Amino acid sequence: MALGKEQMKLLYRNLVRADHFDKMMMNRIMQGKLIGFYHPGDGAMAAGVGASTFLGDNDILNPHHRAHGLGYAAGRGVDVGRYLAEHTGKVDGCCGGRSSFHWSFPEKKMYGASGFIGWHFCPVVGWGWACKRKGNQMVLMASGDGSYGQGGAHEAMLFAMNWKLPIVFFCENNGMAIHSTISDMHPMPDISSLAQGYGMPAVVIDGQDVFAVAETVIAAREHALAGKGPTFVEAKTLRLREHDVGTPDLARAEPREAAYLEELKKRDPVVLATTRVLAEKVLTRKQIDKIYQEAKEEVAAIEKFADESPVAQPSIEELLAGVYVA
Amino acid sequence: MSEVRELPLVEAIREAYRQEMERDERVFMVGQDIAGGIFPHTKGLVEQFGTDRIVDTPLAEIGMYGTAFGAAMEGFRPIVDFMFAGFFLNAASPILAQTAQFRFIHGSQMSLPMVITGACGAGMRLGNEHAMLVHNMIAQVPGIKVCMPSTPYDAKGLMTAAIRDDNPVAFIWHLGTMMDRGPVPEEPYVVPLGVAEVKREGGDVTLVANGFQYKNAQIVADKLAGEISVEIIDPRTFSPLDIDTILKSLEKTGRLVVVDESWESRSTASEIAAQVVDRGFDLLDAPIRRVTIPNIPLPGGHMEPYVAPNPDAIEAAVRDVCR
Repeated sequence: MALGKEQMKLLYRNLVRADHFDKMMMNRIMQGKLIGFYHPGDGAMAAGVGASTFLGDNDILNPHHRAHGLGYAAGRGVDVGRYLAEHTGKVDGCCGGRSSFHWSFPEKKMYGASGFIGWHFCPVVGWGWACKRKGNQMVLMASGDGSYGQGGAHEAMLFAMNWKLPIVFFCENNGMAIHSTISDMHPMPDISSLAQGYGMPAVVIDGQDVFAVAETVIAAREHALAGKGPTFVEAKTLRLREHDVGTPDLARAEPREAAYLEELKKRDPVVLATTRVLAEKVLTRKQIDKIYQEAKEEVAAIEKFADESPVAQPSIEELLAGVYVA
Repeated sequence: MSEVRELPLVEAIREAYRQEMERDERVFMVGQDIAGGIFPHTKGLVEQFGTDRIVDTPLAEIGMYGTAFGAAMEGFRPIVDFMFAGFFLNAASPILAQTAQFRFIHGSQMSLPMVITGACGAGMRLGNEHAMLVHNMIAQVPGIKVCMPSTPYDAKGLMTAAIRDDNPVAFIWHLGTMMDRGPVPEEPYVVPLGVAEVKREGGDVTLVANGFQYKNAQIVADKLAGEISVEIIDPRTFSPLDIDTILKSLEKTGRLVVVDESWESRSTASEIAAQVVDRGFDLLDAPIRRVTIPNIPLPGGHMEPYVAPNPDAIEAAVRDVCR
């Protein structure tokens, strides 16, 4: 199904925004203005934006950990000011400063990230089960290639196919898990080949092409909502930088080669999308400049909001009161 | 006035399931072979509620638990049955690292109303994995409540409370109590979580015991009657722990024995002893004695009767503090 011009404009805008958010986070962690760590999404922001921009409000969205889910946050319309405030331990953070990078927006049906990669393969079964019981809602469950080493991944695919759950297993395959290469960690180059064992329809797409990702996920979502069960979408992407900012960028124990990384940069999704929207006259250069200007202003407002919010340091009594529902 | 009907503990649990599922359509059960029923506590439920609400899963605890965990976020009130409570360890990561801590970490925005249940207990020669009590492993983590019934009355009331609670609750039940009969009112009722009960009044020594060990405590109290007056307190809930009821009893007795079918170290017995020393040191006339499993894995075969807490060990501890 071809995208309309308005859809393409929205995707392009969200991609530029997501790219700015990611660069904001990289700058801040290097300036010491972010808590914990940051796993940059630089050069790989298209998959999240394409997968999330056209979901329904009731659909459950589990973001990928890379870029701390910012591509998905951009597509979902999350309040990134509260997101950044959370990552800086502020009172206006989306979780009151308690979660830092394990952020969540339950009202957006983004139920939280975890430092245990692959954790979501557990609740995703219940998300899918609940969506099926309620009807007309589905789950977009994003994760990376590394997480498919978890046994829970296989349990989730088994349950999803048994019960024909409305789940899209959306895998961002960048070929790297910290310093490990996929050829060392998986017997097959395509993670989606795992879906075959469960009889699950699967497709491999170019994760650098935000428009291709969106078209595929729209179709997979329709498949899910029609009661036809889960699908597996593997978006091939790349990793331009180290696993998390400040650690060495290795493949196995060797530094990744500069010439190879330069080659990867030619596949930057923003560059690819810009070429296409200009070629197809979806946007003019002037309109693109405006989108960039607005993204810069949005980032400035986000940082101002987060920086002006007080540090969250509630008393032990207040924290104790937050553990249980009274 | 008519006599209150008697039921076995396992049927008291089933009655709580049935009544709460009739009362609230968000409640459902997920587990392995619960439609057929390995234990009779789910017998007949699938006929009444269908496979949408009595959900059998493959032998895969992460997916099985995830069915409950994810559905709870979407507003359902699941009961997830691990069959044997020790099998929860196959899903320990999502239960202890995520479910229990979820509400707090995410800014107290979400609630996870769910019941995690399973049977356990020494005495059936089932080996360490099937038999071991896991209440202390779970109770160590804030954010999840943990309880275990000693009587059929408490079984129905605690399960009803657990299902209605907006927090995750682990409800463990002991195989050695499964067929125990006792009075169980037919109408729904709640035994509140976090409230201990004085189950036998006495003046010389406070004996804290729960589950199967509550029965052993009664055997000892009966035997010592006329010689030593034993007050038995059933904590009923391990987390949150009702220490006040124990301290109140100590004002009268000044002596404490805690039975816990768990390892000696870092158990509920240890926790009660520590809290009593913290808050009730002046009440004590004798050292606190713990009757537990020594720090060895629970063996299968013929060793359970003397490795696990038993009436002889409890009696020896009671006599020791009453010297």
